[in-house]
Amino acid sequence: MDKIIKILTKYYMVFLKGLWGTMWLASVTLVCGTVLGLLVAFLRMSRFKPLSAVAAMYIQILRGTPILLQLYFFWILLPKIMPFGMSDLACIVVALIINASAYIAEIVRAGIAAVDPGQWEAGRSIGLTEIHLMQKIIMPQAIKNILPALVSQFISCIKETSLASVFFVRELTTAYKTVQASTFLALQPVIISGMIYLVVTTVLSFAGRHIEGRLKASD
Amino acid sequence: MIEPIISVKDLYKSFGDVHVLKGISTDVAPGEVVSIIGPSGSGKSTFLRCLNRLEEPTGGQIFFKGEDIMKAGKRISLYRQKIGMVFQNFNVFPHLTVLQNITLTPVLEKKIPQKEAEKKAEELLIRVGLLDKRDVYPRQLSGGQKQRLAIVRALAMEPEVMLFDEPTSALDPEMVKEVLNVIADLARSGMTILNVTHEMGFAREVSDRILFIDEGIIQEEGDPESFFSSPASPRAMEFLSKVL
Repeated sequence: MDKIIKILTKYYMVFLKGLWGTMWLASVTLVCGTVLGLLVAFLRMSRFKPLSAVAAMYIQILRGTPILLQLYFFWILLPKIMPFGMSDLACIVVALIINASAYIAEIVRAGIAAVDPGQWEAGRSIGLTEIHLMQKIIMPQAIKNILPALVSQFISCIKETSLASVFFVRELTTAYKTVQASTFLALQPVIISGMIYLVVTTVLSFAGRHIEGRLKASD
Repeated sequence: MIEPIISVKDLYKSFGDVHVLKGISTDVAPGEVVSIIGPSGSGKSTFLRCLNRLEEPTGGQIFFKGEDIMKAGKRISLYRQKIGMVFQNFNVFPHLTVLQNITLTPVLEKKIPQKEAEKKAEELLIRVGLLDKRDVYPRQLSGGQKQRLAIVRALAMEPEVMLFDEPTSALDPEMVKEVLNVIADLARSGMTILNVTHEMGFAREVSDRILFIDEGIIQEEGDPESFFSSPASPRAMEFLSKVL
């Protein structure tokens, strides 16, 4: 305990910067992953079979292989195929976004599929165009299924960014490694990083439950 | 002879190997009230749902005022605006208030100004006795009220035909009447109606014609009096002996 306090007083900035790195990575991943995930979800639901098949394969590959392996894959591949230089950080961010997009595409697809088919029929029968039907009838109802799942996804993103420490991207798990290297203490910095993760994810799951409750209330 | 508002020619529909409609042809005159009856699984709902292409027919033609709606492509929504539909399970929009349920489509698709659409919606709500509910959400409505809302939501588009797909089948018995009254009113006002129903008394009372569908074809059709008192086909006789 003494040692934890000592480490904290001396190295708190390392952990704070690490936390900042983690939150930044997770946020960028979630936001960009959602945009890309929406696109993939709509391709997946497309009535044009080849498009739908490609999207299904994309989702299957990304959800069916380990994320660490995907990070290595993009970390190796991207610098080779990009005409401009790609930093480790950029490679990792791209990999995290692509990985998240597959999970988010499934969240979106499931959220839309959970809307009562009668709503589609009612919207069509009254003469709404497909775009208006999606905008005004289906998505406002699907969002209630999607939002709570997105909060869980954000929590997963926060935990998964720890894998970026393998590539020494500055985030919370790298902060532990940094402190360990300069203090030769291993257990205490692990506990500190772990506690910070726990606080953040706990706050988020409470926020998630709150959102869920409010969405239910408006049903 | 007056031009039929809806004309169906040799309509076929199958789901995989299951042949639900096996060649249905009929004409509906403007203002005519047609009740479609038959055993469950006979294809009567499928027939109705083909008329606005909620189900895609496998073969045949459907004309709305002489235009083939099978060739409508993306313009199908324009035809659907003129062919209102009411479902067994109401399918009102749960995230919109009663008033918004009614005004959404006229404002979006017919570019009617919001104020005007609201005024029209209120008139319709008065007609079905729901004006005091204008600002509540559908979850606060009873089944009968939801169905009346679904009817005026369709009427707000000023359709020329109304399709009813077992509109009272999901209702508690004490709410059937309030919905049937609205449909009867509509029938008297000259609306063209196709009504799939299990309410034989109602069908007999309001219809100009009965279509009896079984096994995917029209087994018998005729005016309600003669159909119900002296059905000609053995199938209709058997059906009526079970339900009456």
